[in-house]
Amino acid sequence: MVSLLRVAGVVTCVATIASPLTAQRTAPATFAITNARLVPVSAPVIESGTVVIRGGLIVAVGATVAVPADARVIDGTGLTVYPGLIDGFGTLGLPSAAPAAAAGGGGGGGRGGGGGAAAPRAPNSTQAVGLQPELAVVNELGPDAMAFTAPHAAGFTTAFTSIGGGVFRGQSAVINLDGTDVSTMVVRSGMTQQLAFSRGGGGGGFPGSLFGVFAAIRQELLDAQRYRELSAAYARNPKGMVRPAYDPSLAALQPVLARQVPMVMLANTQREIERALDLAKEFNLRAIIAGGTEAWKVADRLKAESVPVLLTVNFPRRTTTPAVDADPDPLRVLRERVEAPKGAAVLQAAGVTYAFTSGGAFPEFLANVRRAVGGGLTPEQALRAMTTTPAQLFGIADRVGALEAGRIANLTITKGDLFAPGTTVQQLFIDGQPITIPVAAPSAGGAGGGRGGRPGTLDGQWTARIAFDGAEREVTFTLTQHGAILGGVLEGSFGSATLEEGVVQPDGSFRFAAWLMHHDGLERAEFRGVRQGDALVGEVAVQGHGTSRFTGNQER
Amino acid sequence: MTTTVEGSMTTSAVALVLLLAVPALSAQAPRAAAPATLITNATVLTVTKGTLAGTDVLLQNGKIAQIGKHLTAPAGATTIDGTGKFLMPGIIDPHSHMMSDATNEGSLSVTSMVRIADVLNPTAPNIYRALAGGTTMLNILHGSANTIGGQNAVVKLKWGRTAQEMLVPGAMPGIKFALGENVTRKNNQTVIVQGQPAAPRRYPSTRMGQEVILRDAFTRARDYQATWADYRARLAKKEAGLIAPRRDLELEPLVEVLEGKRWVHAHSYRADEMLMLLNLADDFGFTIKTLQHGLEGYKIASEIAKHGAGLSTFADSWGYKIEAYDAIPYNVAILMRHGVVTTINSDDDGRARRLNIDAAKMVRYGALTEDEALRIITYNGAVQLGLETRVGSIEVGKEADVVLWNAHPLSVYASPDYTFIDGELYFSKAMDAERRAARVAERTELEQAEANQAPSGRGGAGGRGAAGTPPAMPPKENH
Amino acid sequence: MRGLIRSVATTATLAVLAASPLTAQLGSFNPRPGPQGTFAIRNARIVPVSGPEIANGTLVISGGKITAVGVNAVIPAGAQIIDGTGLSVYPGMMDAANEIGLSEIPQGANATMDASEVGSFNPQARAINGFNPHSAIIGVTRVVGITHILSRPSGGVIAGAAALMNLAGDTPPAMAVVPQAAMVLTLPGGGGGRGGGGGGFGGGGGGGNAGATAVRDSLTQLLDDARAYGKAIAAAVADKSLPRPTHDLTLEALLPVVNGTMPVLIAGTTAANIRDIIAFADSQKIRPIILGGRDALQVAALLKEKNVPVLLTGVRALPSREDDPFDINYTLPAKLAAAGVRFAITSGEETPDTRDLPYVAGVAAAFGLSHDDALKSVTLWPAEIYGVGDRLGSLDVGKIANVVVTTGDMLEARTETKYLFIDGRLVPLDTKHTQLYEMFKARP
Repeated sequence: MVSLLRVAGVVTCVATIASPLTAQRTAPATFAITNARLVPVSAPVIESGTVVIRGGLIVAVGATVAVPADARVIDGTGLTVYPGLIDGFGTLGLPSAAPAAAAGGGGGGGRGGGGGAAAPRAPNSTQAVGLQPELAVVNELGPDAMAFTAPHAAGFTTAFTSIGGGVFRGQSAVINLDGTDVSTMVVRSGMTQQLAFSRGGGGGGFPGSLFGVFAAIRQELLDAQRYRELSAAYARNPKGMVRPAYDPSLAALQPVLARQVPMVMLANTQREIERALDLAKEFNLRAIIAGGTEAWKVADRLKAESVPVLLTVNFPRRTTTPAVDADPDPLRVLRERVEAPKGAAVLQAAGVTYAFTSGGAFPEFLANVRRAVGGGLTPEQALRAMTTTPAQLFGIADRVGALEAGRIANLTITKGDLFAPGTTVQQLFIDGQPITIPVAAPSAGGAGGGRGGRPGTLDGQWTARIAFDGAEREVTFTLTQHGAILGGVLEGSFGSATLEEGVVQPDGSFRFAAWLMHHDGLERAEFRGVRQGDALVGEVAVQGHGTSRFTGNQER
Repeated sequence: MTTTVEGSMTTSAVALVLLLAVPALSAQAPRAAAPATLITNATVLTVTKGTLAGTDVLLQNGKIAQIGKHLTAPAGATTIDGTGKFLMPGIIDPHSHMMSDATNEGSLSVTSMVRIADVLNPTAPNIYRALAGGTTMLNILHGSANTIGGQNAVVKLKWGRTAQEMLVPGAMPGIKFALGENVTRKNNQTVIVQGQPAAPRRYPSTRMGQEVILRDAFTRARDYQATWADYRARLAKKEAGLIAPRRDLELEPLVEVLEGKRWVHAHSYRADEMLMLLNLADDFGFTIKTLQHGLEGYKIASEIAKHGAGLSTFADSWGYKIEAYDAIPYNVAILMRHGVVTTINSDDDGRARRLNIDAAKMVRYGALTEDEALRIITYNGAVQLGLETRVGSIEVGKEADVVLWNAHPLSVYASPDYTFIDGELYFSKAMDAERRAARVAERTELEQAEANQAPSGRGGAGGRGAAGTPPAMPPKENH
Repeated sequence: MRGLIRSVATTATLAVLAASPLTAQLGSFNPRPGPQGTFAIRNARIVPVSGPEIANGTLVISGGKITAVGVNAVIPAGAQIIDGTGLSVYPGMMDAANEIGLSEIPQGANATMDASEVGSFNPQARAINGFNPHSAIIGVTRVVGITHILSRPSGGVIAGAAALMNLAGDTPPAMAVVPQAAMVLTLPGGGGGRGGGGGGFGGGGGGGNAGATAVRDSLTQLLDDARAYGKAIAAAVADKSLPRPTHDLTLEALLPVVNGTMPVLIAGTTAANIRDIIAFADSQKIRPIILGGRDALQVAALLKEKNVPVLLTGVRALPSREDDPFDINYTLPAKLAAAGVRFAITSGEETPDTRDLPYVAGVAAAFGLSHDDALKSVTLWPAEIYGVGDRLGSLDVGKIANVVVTTGDMLEARTETKYLFIDGRLVPLDTKHTQLYEMFKARP
């Protein structure tokens, strides 16, 4: 009964927000939440106090704050009020229909390709798709209330967002998740540039491999350095000098080269992180690592080089009961599942700055944060990683991240302590507007969930094991589906290849061909299979080697 | 949010210097030297100085410190009884794709800008398996999808260490070229770009076109070299208002080739295509360091010797494609008799574990001496990588990359009991037994962890753990 | 003595060279074997495999057979005598599953690949009818001491009938030991190891599980039909009043399979595959031979109980799981031997590299298999698995004279072959490779 009412309430709420007639945002709104437990983060906990919100801002916080006469009073008895939680990395706010990336998909947990889809093409760019740092996520944003229901239920009022595909992913933004109007969503933009070592970034051309990606990055950064010199020389004295060609891509990299803007680099494994740090060192960049599953393994170096981490809490865990005859999970996988939730505590102990990101797993977010606490963090430390720390990293600590008068009225309100098992988010305030949370959040498979790739497509990176000549070999497919056409690249112990003749049938089965390197020759392999949940299963026929089976799982 | 790297690069010339310096500065952070090891009474296959019966070898400070009879173990040294065992230099595999997260950048015909060193995976399980086969060093090469491939990486298989620690400082930089079927057959691919018709074939489709690609690339590289030479000359004259030319990562490695600072390892099969390459290199004034595979090398052995190229081939693989149909297992013998520095390589992680048996075949096919057979998997590989003064034989002062076998390594019944790199033990059968037991125990423990339990249903995804002190991390593997 | 052999060989070489430019076609490099004469190899170390080694003895070959073995074997008058001082005599080895004669150049030369027929059910396809007796691979394979092989089709569900062939002779019938030695099957849905399927999907393994089930149903139906066909024929023979069924080549070819007279070679890699194969074979009353056998140890008890033999194709393969011990495949033969499972070791290499077989057995010996068993795994055991243990696989009187005379241990890579007898014929040791060697070694 209760839940029915709640759901109905939500529907009303959503409808209200979506309705152009209500014009709720412009109406003056003053709220007072009384008798609540207040966790300001920037100040000690107030066991019973009042928060007053007016005009989208917090105007008062304290144990003895007077309730203004015009305020709508919310009795906060039994409730705890936190600053609105910030998702430290992702692609929220990008319309789910756009090819850029899934709403909520890819993002923090994404290895390399994230959404896997190509970045949009910037007009007048000098660079190929995937290598266009001049892209800005603010130009791609669209309000999408439905896409925010899952993040809301996770307690997020605010999120870092960037384009989900490509190598250079352009300029990021921090947005408030109010879902009505882009112009008011943006809290700050352009505070970072994004870089992913995403294979197949060139859409069939260069770069088509991981080391090609590194070469392309290097050349573009070198070109940007030279662009700086040419531009400076021309500015000093244009006489007698050919005017440097206008180049928005190279221009966009200038603040990064000048260390005014950090480069957020997607990297999860130890070696991916080390490669990213090496690159940052090579070009003297201010680096931030996003993802960072194994960041704890390089905590000392991260500390020494002052590199923060946007740490995914989308921790791996066994999600299915293995088949009776299945091979056991490798120790590596078992270890990673056990180690990942302890990583934040290692970073904390080493003095590395880190903020949490949901990794797109919104329904599990709070439970995952509690796992990080179980892994050795204090709740206070965990809370900072969702509030003050990301606010500082993104240069908005004066606006969000704490319950303080004068700040944006982003609040996350729970029934009970956020870190107690089973506690759920009751209500949010975003820019001073209340948002009620349904009891049953949308499932992970909905708009908010997913681990990279648009729902219903094969997009993303898949790691597959192929039985071949009696041994199993690992390959990675980066797949991109456009309707019935399936493209992508294959990389791994058979070399790297562009997928050919890829199609997805109406029944969901797929096939593609690729040339595998074997015994120093290329042999044509035909893959056929179907997607079963999070897995690909199928068969591969290789000329001269018969048919064998493969199974693949999506990389986080 | 500040990093420890300070200082901005004011000109591209300075940037060039800094960038070139980076690999040398960051490679192989010094570590505490491994404890000394004395191997006693072994049959020592020095490979360059004959076979020494009943001999002791002392490994100290990462080097082969002493070779002789009745050596005294220094304090703290481990002693291994080598009675009945055979000590040989670690096997060097001059053509591998192991531990590389990428193999081919197949999009272009010239991909000299890509670097294997960018994508090394030091955790690849085949590293350990190769150590168990006596292999200690690899030349990791780009694949053969295009005429000019990427830059190589030379590593020692220091299992458990980082990629940076595995890279061998001082190894000659190299680059992969490729000729023949793998390059032209690539053209059978139709590249699918979303929503577009199949892309046109990639040039070249023929061996003729491969020569054109090479000639064009080196012609451009020469021009690039001249542009920079001109700039540097003007810079030396302190000319005002100079702006450095654009750095081109495609052409830079080719300039290094022209200047003898980067060695070419050229995948090639047919005698005619090899000859084309040698002649082209002569035209441009550089030397092909190795012909890789070079299965028909025996047909032009004197031309290869005259050019000064080495060759790295398969022992007896043949017939797997048209250009391998005239391969013969006597290739090595003919080349060696013509004075070509010849090696046998694996090109395959499985084969990398048994190069000793491939070497043994050369005793049968072409009657190599046992020393010669061992040299083609050790010393000659060191020569091909510019490391012959440091590795590849058992001599005092050389780096202690050595393997103690339980039988003569040219026997099919032999297997390594101990594999050392820089004097440090990276594999032994005893350690392997301990490792297995440890892994069984670790698995048992990990399987009990909550994150490794299959979900009993939807709902409580984690979150049961209460706040507290962090449990110790499972130990990293340290073999 | 060596001179005699060499002169024969050289003549053969010259004949070949005169007949055609060297690379004009994919064959005719192999010198022809001599006649089935009478030969005596004396003063040699003899390794019969079936019994204890004879340190110094004599082996006599006559009329294609081994006619005497022993310390005091009598040398018949007129025998060509080979002094075996310092030499060793072994039975020829057998590679128990490959595509010699059917496949020549696996990559980029499809016209030389004759192992895979179109379609899913091809029991009527016979390797003996597609076997190229002049394949250059034959010459280079036999000179390491591999005297006979099983050449098998691949692809589809039923690929066809494999042939057990001697590696010397002018025509396939002259080379055949057993023209139809085994039927080659890939069990739909059962995965499979090397060469299990092939030839594209074509209903072969089926795409998804549903497809595989349908294909398996078709296979079961086909075997049922074959049984019914055999029964009807037998009935018609016994009772002339009954109608004889219409001739059907497919069902006809399956009769020896369903009658249990012809074994069935079925690719099986994992424990689940192998259990599935054995259950299927039980239900169909067919005689399986497992090809691959990667995880055979996990089902060793079942294999032993059912007396199902395994042809190991991956003894030198890399471990298939990242946590596997480095030597998991090397030690498999030793562990199977200890568990009492019948097996043979195959080269597991692509067809041109079949000649690696002895070294594969050597690795098994390096990792725990006794030297005697390592020899048996490439001589007597494969012969027994194919039901020709009474004709091949050891140096016993009455057996086919496939005999190798070497400079030492036959499994060692440094060992050279000095004399080679196949079917009692002296085979010259020239090959495509020695011919090219001779042609180029002295080129200035």
